Amino acid sequence: MTTSVLDAELAVPTGYWTRARKTGAVMTGLGLLATIVFGLLATGEAARFAYGETVDGKGIDIPGNVGAILFGLIAVAAGVALLVTGRHFGLLVGTALLAFIVSALCWQMSVSPVSHIMPLGSVAAITFTAAIPFIFGSLGGVLCERTGVVNVAIEGQLLTGAFFGSLFGTVTGSFWLGLVAAMVGGALLSAILAVFAIRYLVDQVVVGIVLNVFAGGLTAFFYEQVMRPDTDAYNFPERVPTWPVPGLSEIPVLGPALFNGTIFSYGSLIAVAVVTLTLFRTRWGLRTRAVGEHPAAADTVGIRVLGLRYLNVLIAGAVAGFGGAYFSLQSTTGFSKYMVSGAGFIALAAMIFGRWNPVGALLASLFFGFFGALTSFLIGISSPIPSQFLNMLPYVATIFAVTGLVGRVRAPAADGKPYVKG
Amino acid sequence: MKIVALVAAAGLALAAAACSKPTEEPNAGSTSAAAAKFAACMVTDTGGIDDHSFNASSWAGMQAAESANPAIKAGYTPSTTMADYDPNLTQSVTKGCQYVQAVGGLMGDATKKVATANPKVQFAIVDAGNQGLANVYPIQFETQQAAYLAGYLAAGYSKSGKVGTYGGMKIPPVTIFMDGFADGVAAYNKAKGKNVQLLGWDKAKQDGLFADDFVSQEKGKQKSDTLAAQGADVIFPVAGGAGLGTAANAGSKYVVIWVDADGFETTKYGSVMLTTVVKNSKDGVKDALAKSAATPGTLLTGGFLGTLENNGVSLAPYHDFDSKIDPALKAEIDKLKADIIAGTIKVESPAQPK
Repeated sequence: MTTSVLDAELAVPTGYWTRARKTGAVMTGLGLLATIVFGLLATGEAARFAYGETVDGKGIDIPGNVGAILFGLIAVAAGVALLVTGRHFGLLVGTALLAFIVSALCWQMSVSPVSHIMPLGSVAAITFTAAIPFIFGSLGGVLCERTGVVNVAIEGQLLTGAFFGSLFGTVTGSFWLGLVAAMVGGALLSAILAVFAIRYLVDQVVVGIVLNVFAGGLTAFFYEQVMRPDTDAYNFPERVPTWPVPGLSEIPVLGPALFNGTIFSYGSLIAVAVVTLTLFRTRWGLRTRAVGEHPAAADTVGIRVLGLRYLNVLIAGAVAGFGGAYFSLQSTTGFSKYMVSGAGFIALAAMIFGRWNPVGALLASLFFGFFGALTSFLIGISSPIPSQFLNMLPYVATIFAVTGLVGRVRAPAADGKPYVKG
Repeated sequence: MKIVALVAAAGLALAAAACSKPTEEPNAGSTSAAAAKFAACMVTDTGGIDDHSFNASSWAGMQAAESANPAIKAGYTPSTTMADYDPNLTQSVTKGCQYVQAVGGLMGDATKKVATANPKVQFAIVDAGNQGLANVYPIQFETQQAAYLAGYLAAGYSKSGKVGTYGGMKIPPVTIFMDGFADGVAAYNKAKGKNVQLLGWDKAKQDGLFADDFVSQEKGKQKSDTLAAQGADVIFPVAGGAGLGTAANAGSKYVVIWVDADGFETTKYGSVMLTTVVKNSKDGVKDALAKSAATPGTLLTGGFLGTLENNGVSLAPYHDFDSKIDPALKAEIDKLKADIIAGTIKVESPAQPK
């Protein structure tokens, strides 16, 4: 059954208008829009892309109208190439979109009354730090769902991690122990999910939603009862230190983002690498995927389906819990009620957008982080576009990306289906 | 399935209980029994009681009135979402509160609805008008006056020539701070012939940078990181608890001007607080409650309008920064304050109380 679904999806559609060609047409249209509209609206004022973390320092200058038209044309070229050839989908779409964004930026920066400078290093750094909780959260989702258990409780796992991280980080006086506690906290919440989903066969989406509400209420309750009355004793953890990599952290643009990080930023990349390797290169990974696709078949060859599901759901909780500690140990010092504020749901979207693949989830998380950073930047320079529209940008981009670029995504076949030995 | 349903129901019930448990009940049971007691209930907005901001200072006002008059029993109900406003206000009435304090302009509609249904109960609301009702006592502030002083101070203190601000949400009680701040920066530029830039708010367009959140410190941090990258070295977050993300990450990059309640005293980040635009909700709420409790059964008339003159709004002491601010600048700010009180300078905002 699995094979036939795969075949159907991979089969080359007949006819000229493949998905790639249609996308190519859309990209060409976007490019033309950029060339004409942005080119006309932009002024000759130079738009400056500074390499560093602030607006000072070296950078590259492009006159706004020249840049808007030039990058608009690059987008057109990429779109036409895709339309004509129907090949190199990822590369060409990426080029077209990036060129479109740069064209828009040239226009925006040239007309800004406030600043003509975009500090690329800062945009990269904000993108990556904003993505950290999404990365851990979506990894938690991947681990869970690849094994056949739907995880909509990411929000709750992050929140529990943030709470435990702060509480134990403060009480023990060590952020390391706070991190361990955050993983335990996330795993505890996951354990509830596991028991209901695997043992009692409850609808997994319902359990997940209930767990989010449960985690929110419970942490808020203990926050009010324990933390708030004595902040110094229970809610003032040591902050995770920044570990710059000598030399590398000075690299323009990407240096500050990648090499001036904390345990969370390095950890998120390591976690993606480890999950990718183990999921696709080890016996555990093969078994996990087998259980997520076809548990009955896995069972007949002697894999302990339920045991593996329990294990993976717990690991998923621990990973998400670790990521949740980002909120209370790096983003700020201390827990506050409902501080995760929807990041878990964005992580869920990132997992689906990333096609249940760890690297895909990483890229999707960075995508969300980037549009957040871009929005802040544009509003910060007093963009002529009303802020309400700019705030929609990440969501519009998501809808566009999910419908237009990713195509049909396929969840693991047994995702959300409880396994009953029969 | 039965077991499952049971456990799920229990889980939900527990979660709900945890959500809505008012931590400091106004001894609701005993209030209805003891007629001598005057039950006063506050409903927080989504920022929560410990937002280090106007919920916290309104609650401080309730407590101050309580300790001044032993007949008053004060309590509060936290709201976690805007959908809680209506039920929380209604619940406050049904449990016998004689004085219901709503906090925040976003609660205006819910207050209007519940107050209309209960015309004999005294309501008071911070940051909103009386909604055309006799039983709603408005507690409002000419916040733009104090924010003007802060804007002037920020422009004078900035070394980079750039100052930044962002709001929690684009609503009048927030933008009024940003308007005053923008005017203060402009006044400094005019007085000194300088060009200090304000990032994050355009008063003429009435648009700017918003975290769209009063809780998420992560979102606050992102906004201030963006402003700092553009070179702002004084940042004015008008975002309640979300602003803590800005304060926590200030380091040596920028200093913070806090809002509502003196950030030097109410947050853990006193060392980065240049000053605070204080909105004295505490005294406004305390006066309203004290008056209402003194005349139970009759409705309050008029309203409270906090200005620089009656100390309803003010600029907090500079604390750690006292020695770092040029004395001449401090003197100019004192002069501006006197001018605003005297009426020779008028600071106006589309968001100010009508």
